[in-house]
Amino acid sequence: MKTKKKFNKYMLVSIVSVAVGIFIWWLVTAGLGLVKSNILPAPDTIVRTFIKKLYDPNPEGGTLFVHLLSSLRVALSGYGLGVVLGIPLGIIMAWYPRIEMTVRPVFDLVRTVPGVAWIPVMVSLAGIGLLSKALVIFISAMVATVINSYSGIKQTKEVHLWVGQTFGASNWELLTQIAIPSALPMIMTGCKIALGQAWTTLVAAELLASTKGIGYMIQQARGIYRLDIVIVGMIVIGLTGAALTGIISLIEKRVLKGGKY
Amino acid sequence: MATFWNKNGRKFAYGACGLLLFGLIWFLATNGTELGKILPDPVTVLRKFFVSFAEPIGTKTMVFHILTSLRRMLLPYLVACAAGILLGVVMGWYKPLEAIVKPYIELIRPIPPIAWIPLSIAWFGFAEMSKYFLIFLACFPTITINTYSGVRSVDETIVRAAKMLGARDSQLFTTIVMPSTVPYIFAGLQVAIGSSWATIVAAEMIRSSEGVGWLIISGQETSNMPQVLVGIVAIALTGLVLVSFMRLLETKLCAWNERGQ
Amino acid sequence: MQEKKQAKVQVQNLTKKFGDLLVLDNLNFEVQEGEFLCIVGPTGCGKTTFLNTLTKLYVPTAGEILVNGIPVDPKKQNISYIFQEYSAYPWLTVKENVMWGLKIKKVPLKEAEESAMEMLDIVGLTKFQDYYPGQISVSMLQRVVIARAFATRPELLLMDEPYGQLDIDLRFRLEDELLKLWERTKTTVLFITHNIEEAVYLGQNIMVLTNKPTSIKTVIQNPLPLPRDVMAQDFVELREHVTELIKWW
Repeated sequence: MKTKKKFNKYMLVSIVSVAVGIFIWWLVTAGLGLVKSNILPAPDTIVRTFIKKLYDPNPEGGTLFVHLLSSLRVALSGYGLGVVLGIPLGIIMAWYPRIEMTVRPVFDLVRTVPGVAWIPVMVSLAGIGLLSKALVIFISAMVATVINSYSGIKQTKEVHLWVGQTFGASNWELLTQIAIPSALPMIMTGCKIALGQAWTTLVAAELLASTKGIGYMIQQARGIYRLDIVIVGMIVIGLTGAALTGIISLIEKRVLKGGKY
Repeated sequence: MATFWNKNGRKFAYGACGLLLFGLIWFLATNGTELGKILPDPVTVLRKFFVSFAEPIGTKTMVFHILTSLRRMLLPYLVACAAGILLGVVMGWYKPLEAIVKPYIELIRPIPPIAWIPLSIAWFGFAEMSKYFLIFLACFPTITINTYSGVRSVDETIVRAAKMLGARDSQLFTTIVMPSTVPYIFAGLQVAIGSSWATIVAAEMIRSSEGVGWLIISGQETSNMPQVLVGIVAIALTGLVLVSFMRLLETKLCAWNERGQ
Repeated sequence: MQEKKQAKVQVQNLTKKFGDLLVLDNLNFEVQEGEFLCIVGPTGCGKTTFLNTLTKLYVPTAGEILVNGIPVDPKKQNISYIFQEYSAYPWLTVKENVMWGLKIKKVPLKEAEESAMEMLDIVGLTKFQDYYPGQISVSMLQRVVIARAFATRPELLLMDEPYGQLDIDLRFRLEDELLKLWERTKTTVLFITHNIEEAVYLGQNIMVLTNKPTSIKTVIQNPLPLPRDVMAQDFVELREHVTELIKWW
């Protein structure tokens, strides 16, 4: 009972803190006019713009939904491919030492290159459409999944493998019946991290080389000094990222049998 | 000599094979092929990379570009470290402060730093400050949250026992809280360096006049693909150095921590 | 003339070095089929290393280990090992855990299920068959592991201080359960413990090891009939005798 009360008290403080923050924001922008709207729009402007953008394709050519859908299509296709290839690659690298020793140096070099940097290369190869962006996102998602899947397998408890060995399990059985199930929590974590990376790379790709999508919307808006649209875009990016991560968390719960791991 | 060949020697041999194989595939795919009209072969790229240390690309040599990007990243990184660790520790120690500050950090976190680029350009133009602001934003929430988690993870019973023995707050702090917080802080620092590097590359690609990111984008703008790839090589190598440095630091710092426990 | 029956386990000149550190020094002994052998010795004297070499988890530096007359091979022979650390698989239910060894040994599903249910019944975990290791108590965890080890009807069972972390009541109960299982399945058991009372309670023979470099100090026979009484005079004497042997350094 006591902990519940404590929880509520601090929750209240947080809510008050945010409310005060928003109030100060409003005060400084619309209330007292200390800051002009081309530097920081007022909170009510942001809300109004958000609602307007839901159905108004002006000024840069698409409603919020159109942009969001385009972004999601690109992000999820790159992400999906990255995860589907990354998990097996990470597992194989962790299990077969010779493969690891061979692939490692190349992988370590590729992994420090942020997805963004590949955009010009991909654009030269695949044009400015969905494919080039999806490829770039694929690279960042794959790197993150490989790293986590690899860690997951490497962290397999020795005693679990020993049990398998004394029962006479083959190397393949040790991998599929012990190492992989044991690594699932880390693999799922990798999927979550990869999603964050994919979403970030998507925004970067759209800022650089796109004709639609949320990143494009923000970039265009800045050009015409509509910071309210920029901020709306940023908020939508944040919310979508959080929602996607939430979905993966739900999937994670099912895969890990409700946290009984 | 025999033992060197057994472990490290084999790692080196396999790794070298991997790199050579990668280079070979790249070479065969681009030497005199259709693809080769778009992408340069590895020999051209490597030659241009080494030449760039003597002959400038744009107005500066490679060393300058790399150091510029590093400077833009490290300065705000260090500031974010100091501020983040300080805030994280204080938040972990005093619950009321946590309740006030945490919501803001949680609201900012889902928004990828790259999404802030248009806003930072609107506010700071193309001055260095816009990049400093961006990188600070990329690091600060992560470092703060990791530090704060570390402080919160300290075993309550140990703290209570020490208090009973008459330890003052400052003693509790230095002998119990800090040592077990260090691994958490360090994890935060490592993640922050990764996302800072990605962010600075993206920021330079979008708007700057030198730096490794600029190398790539100006290469694309002048249809100079070798330069684009030289930029990627520079990013990969610099990133590798950063990661290795962090790993080295980790063994030094956290070894002490493990011994203590 | 009756042919001498081949020993179940024959250890010949077993030596194990880690780098320059000599851990096992030329061990030679035999274990008969169906025997219950307890192994005791000072802490850190290489008991676990010994058991690990027995199952090829560690490769011996020199020497031979023969089971049924051929070099030991977990893939061909039916061996079970209960480790000191908890080793139940967290991603499988209790029942799936117990059936795991049978699955690896390609036992038909129906037969495997029967064997598993029988074991669960003996250790009293039938009610918990669909629970996950994360949901059951620590004492139940070890019984899952024991059920899993016996479900394959092993010809050789190795146990490394399996009851070390449990409280006394539970210990006594599990020790009795173990003896019951042993009598039923006629397995050959090698049981490591640092608890002398446990060794005397369970073992037909008690092997005393020396400090590193480890060799066999002696093997004591335990003539006391089952079930044994820890309070009985002869039990206490035997226990003290073994304790003296270890203490004598």
